[in-house]
Amino acid sequence: MTHAIDARETPDRRAGIGDETTDREKVTDLVSAIETYVTDGSSIAFGGMGGRDPEAAAREIVRQGTTGLTVLDDARTTLLDIMVGAGCVDEYVGSWVGTSLISQGHNIRNAVENGVPHHLEMRDVSNFGSSLMFLAGAMDLPFVPTRSMLETDIPEYNDDLEVIEDPLGSGDPLVLVPPARPDVAIIHVQRCDPMGNAQILGNVVNDHLKARAAEHTIVTCEELVSTDEIRRQPELTRIPFYTVDAVAEVPFGSHPWHCYGQYYADLPFYREYGLRSQDREEFLEWLEEWIRPHDEYLEKVGADRLETLEHMERTINGAGSAEGADE
Amino acid sequence: MSERSTAGEAAEPSTESVNPVRVDRPDETADDYTTTELLAVAAAREIDDGETAFIGVGMSLMSGILAKHTHAPDCQLVTESGYIGSVPPGVVQSISDTILGVDALVATDQCEIFIDNQRGAFDVGIIGAGQIDSRGNTNSTAVIGDATYDRPKVRLPGSGGSNDIMTSCGRTVVMMRQQRRAFTTEVDYVTAPGHLDHSGRREELGFVGGGPAAVVTDMAVFGFDDDGEMLLETTHPGVSVDDVRDEVQWDLRVADDVRTTPEPTRGEVAMLRAIDPADVVLRGTDYVYEVGFEEWSNTVLDHWEQLRTVQNETDD
Repeated sequence: MTHAIDARETPDRRAGIGDETTDREKVTDLVSAIETYVTDGSSIAFGGMGGRDPEAAAREIVRQGTTGLTVLDDARTTLLDIMVGAGCVDEYVGSWVGTSLISQGHNIRNAVENGVPHHLEMRDVSNFGSSLMFLAGAMDLPFVPTRSMLETDIPEYNDDLEVIEDPLGSGDPLVLVPPARPDVAIIHVQRCDPMGNAQILGNVVNDHLKARAAEHTIVTCEELVSTDEIRRQPELTRIPFYTVDAVAEVPFGSHPWHCYGQYYADLPFYREYGLRSQDREEFLEWLEEWIRPHDEYLEKVGADRLETLEHMERTINGAGSAEGADE
Repeated sequence: MSERSTAGEAAEPSTESVNPVRVDRPDETADDYTTTELLAVAAAREIDDGETAFIGVGMSLMSGILAKHTHAPDCQLVTESGYIGSVPPGVVQSISDTILGVDALVATDQCEIFIDNQRGAFDVGIIGAGQIDSRGNTNSTAVIGDATYDRPKVRLPGSGGSNDIMTSCGRTVVMMRQQRRAFTTEVDYVTAPGHLDHSGRREELGFVGGGPAAVVTDMAVFGFDDDGEMLLETTHPGVSVDDVRDEVQWDLRVADDVRTTPEPTRGEVAMLRAIDPADVVLRGTDYVYEVGFEEWSNTVLDHWEQLRTVQNETDD
């Protein structure tokens, strides 16, 4: 996020009219948002972490045939494995890759170990290291120091990390984590308004930092709501309008993962993915079957199945929206 | 950081009634359990009541949830995705599984969790690893073998939070399969720092965490001696000290009085099976059971209901 905050764009509270009009142009559809901000060679940070992941956006990137991508990340699951298997990604910087606790990332392993479909370069950090690289990016600093990763091989193999002695005299060694500045952050949230105020229910992971560290941010949301609606619970807004460039309403945008308060994870779906992605031919068939425009994808999953996932989530986390928290 | 650990005063592996799912004779030794279940129970018992426990995905989450639902109801579970104090009514599929939101005390971000971790806020952490050496240094990044980091023999998932947990948690429990190739004289890549090359090294570096305190496997439970060397403390029923030695590459140190690991109780095993109704964790990775979506969702909903009912009764 390198945009300066322009005071003139601050909405006029009294009238409420400024809210809805100034940033209308941010509202777009998923296909256009990806076409505009994700091009060959882009670096991308995805939000969520085995929950609230922007899976629909990643499938759209695969559908558009984008290549040469760098993924700057914390921990990443199915969407990365799909993108790597489809040949979209050249490099991964982050802390953890897999597809879920029930399966390894078969495509990721195949790319790293065997160069299929081509080599994936890995640059490891710890989880705190990944938070701090986005923090450094968000703060526009050359580094943030930590004690994590000291005396291990993580800084040995990741040339971006530097170990120094505390220059202020404590004598402590510290690892310097440089900033991550993705070209685009793609974050899926429960609700967002046309201005780009994104509200997150449940855990936040590193999404608030990724949006700030990135040059551009796409927010996909379960529900596009009015700015008045956002104002009712401002404490839920973790990503402010000035960090956001595009807003697209994408219901079930995290399927097959969870979206807190909306739907539970479709375990049999990604379990099948884990099985089929073990074999290259079967994975390519899976791609053929499931990489399609999002509305067709949802139709193929089936309305009944999606309703069941919503029912499951309501059963454990009560509300389907922010204000209904008391069931 | 108000509530500090009561570690040390806490009980031995629980002998009081552990019976949240209402089985008969819950305190008796289970007559039917798998080694994976024993592993999960042994790791759960490493968490003392009242502790704040930092847990990762998979088996460590299972053990944390088992502890919370059995002998350590007042432990608080922390996950790196941002949840603190969750009371999940079942197995957690991923680190942001929405059931971690159930009755949680805090839903925040990952950076904040690790800030607290680095300051020493968490008593115990549980991690997994692909390789470990005699000083508890672990590798969860890559089995390099004769190859290179860039194109390793086996690419593992990576650190996740394991490096941060091992650096800064009060003590760390490592859960692993006991295999000779994994208990190695030298790990291919140090992902998380154990007791490093000499005793006292961690203090020199300014680490607040004590490092590895226990290693729990499907054959045995290990501690660490004052030199920071791994020490065999108990073997599981039917496993001899020599059996364990066979699965360790270095000259293993063995406690003077190696005992048998306490077996799981009927209550603990029943609880584990209720937590993981679809056998996702206990049957191992890539296990795909042959039921359709509908049967899966019904099974999971039934078990959530069962566990929630129990929780609500005991809470009030």
